[in-house]
Amino acid sequence: MKASLSMCAGVLGLAIGYAHAGTGADSYNLVEKGRYLATLGDCTACHTLPGKPLFSGGVVLDTPFGKLLGANITPDPVHGIGRWSFEDFQNVMSKGHSPGDKRLYGAMPFTAYTKVSREDNQALWAYLQTVDPSDNAVETNQLPFPFNVRASLIGWNLLNFTQGEYQPDPQKSAQWNRGAYLVQGLGHCGTCHTPKNLTGGDKNGQFLQGANLQGWVAPDLTANNHSGIGSWRPEDIVQYLKTGANRFDVASGPMAEEVEHSSQHWQDEDLMAVAVYLKDFANPAEVPKPLAANDPTMKAGQAIYADRCSACHISKGQGVEGLFPTLANAPLVNNADASSMIRVVLSGSRAGATDAAPTAPAMPSFGWNLSDDNVAAVVTYVRNSWGNAAAPVTSSEVKNLREQLQVK
Amino acid sequence: MIEKPAKGVTRRQLLLSSATTVAMGAAATAKAATIAGTPQWVPFDHNGPLHYDTPGWQYFTDEQAREVEAIVEQLIPADELSVSGKDAGCAVFIDRQLAGEYGTFARLYQEGPFQPGTAMQGDQSPLNPRQRYTLGLAGLTKYCQANFKKPFSGLGAEQRDATLAGLEKGTIALDGIDSPLFFQQVLGNTMEGFFADPIYGGNRDMVSWKLIGFPGARYDYRDYIGLHNQKLDLVPLSIVGSSAWTQKG
Repeated sequence: MKASLSMCAGVLGLAIGYAHAGTGADSYNLVEKGRYLATLGDCTACHTLPGKPLFSGGVVLDTPFGKLLGANITPDPVHGIGRWSFEDFQNVMSKGHSPGDKRLYGAMPFTAYTKVSREDNQALWAYLQTVDPSDNAVETNQLPFPFNVRASLIGWNLLNFTQGEYQPDPQKSAQWNRGAYLVQGLGHCGTCHTPKNLTGGDKNGQFLQGANLQGWVAPDLTANNHSGIGSWRPEDIVQYLKTGANRFDVASGPMAEEVEHSSQHWQDEDLMAVAVYLKDFANPAEVPKPLAANDPTMKAGQAIYADRCSACHISKGQGVEGLFPTLANAPLVNNADASSMIRVVLSGSRAGATDAAPTAPAMPSFGWNLSDDNVAAVVTYVRNSWGNAAAPVTSSEVKNLREQLQVK
Repeated sequence: MIEKPAKGVTRRQLLLSSATTVAMGAAATAKAATIAGTPQWVPFDHNGPLHYDTPGWQYFTDEQAREVEAIVEQLIPADELSVSGKDAGCAVFIDRQLAGEYGTFARLYQEGPFQPGTAMQGDQSPLNPRQRYTLGLAGLTKYCQANFKKPFSGLGAEQRDATLAGLEKGTIALDGIDSPLFFQQVLGNTMEGFFADPIYGGNRDMVSWKLIGFPGARYDYRDYIGLHNQKLDLVPLSIVGSSAWTQKG
């Protein structure tokens, strides 16, 4: 028995040796590496519809310019990328050009993926070869004229795109550089968290300073102490990305999806690298003065908070770790843009469910029993209490967002 | 995502499994079902009561509503303590309840056999609340027309009191329904309407809660636990809101 086992092992070893020699690569490890990189890049977010074959495309992205759909990136020769070569794929990732010199829209975040190393792209490519082909036909470009003319992207790229792999900063640690590589590259954090210019390109001077998209606020990720994550320790950032919740906050909206699909599966050392990098992003805060507690809006908001919110978020905004976000001294509350706050009060919200924290607590909708005035008052109160300070919210802002959300 | 459990365990399976369990003794480990995934969640979803913001009568005809308002006004008259049951919205409350599931006793077992029980056994009537109101109001109108040539709502306070007392004691018989049953039905619903949350149509402006000093549907008193022997003066809170929410100035 023993003898036959060891003989098997010997044969296996030989076989691996041959495979290695034959392809010049350890293909199993390469594919597994690619699988992990695809998780880092959260490719499924745009390329897999829930319940549909992996990477068969069709996820709709509502951009300010119109609709774009995630492509079928399975190895199907007709509807997928089965006829591409690795160089075709490399061009997509680094230049935003797909075969036939077709320029891609920035919704495919090649402005971030250009940072990905050629070596990592090879692993990604090897992994994509192993996915089941799907014949799902996807018309990716559903933008109205003139945005549907891909030639318009020549100008867009001149304005908004700098091609090139990530270059490590020799002044910084390997861990910091790994974090920077992940955040700027496959993690494509800036796609949501960096403010956009009029053409939808990143304002790179304001990298990760927070932006509004699809009626949600993607918060400020800089180490700004007021509206950024300056008060979070690196461990808090890791816990948030791993479990969807930490002692301050709970991921909701598009971030809940990101945590569910992607970051909960990142290796801890990669998450820590991201945390170390983000914490190094100094960005001095401009802190406005809070409204006076005896302001009539604040008084009304205080009563509403006590009656509707304090049961879960506690009377001084303390929250409950892992369940109900802390509202006191909270970066997201202090964001200049209150859209996410108004939105979760009106429509309610569901946290992401992760392997580590599967509960997915939800906030109920208060749209039915809080008027626009009520919502404006209570959000204004929270934004100006317990160490928070941010612009008051008007009832017309609430009204507009309510109409916008209920149409969908 | 969540698989439906297979059909219930049969008696044979149960016997077999318990026998096995006994045989295996304490070493047996139970295999519990594991449910993964999260229940559906929809934005703007809420479980608010039906009809709470719909104007007009939902179940009563105008004529029935007028009579019910006269009864609740007599049961809870306006005085130095509070407004009347009518002005507190008790008839609206009853109307909303009858329009909903309560009106048909949708959640109660209502198949026969029906037998007159003992007093200890409580309500044994086959009639659901809608039928009780419809029959009771028709019977009451017929009785009042026969004796006073007016509907109940046309009577003066003394005649109203005497009539209600007769229903309560059963000295006045109504066609189609036991008169004490009808009286108890209306009295019970009137009290419910007077003290229930205003979202259900009664207790307008939380009049009864202000009367008795009830602070309303509050979730949590943690902030008040330490405040002994102090008057808190909490403004009553309804599911629909509170006067404290209105911006002053």
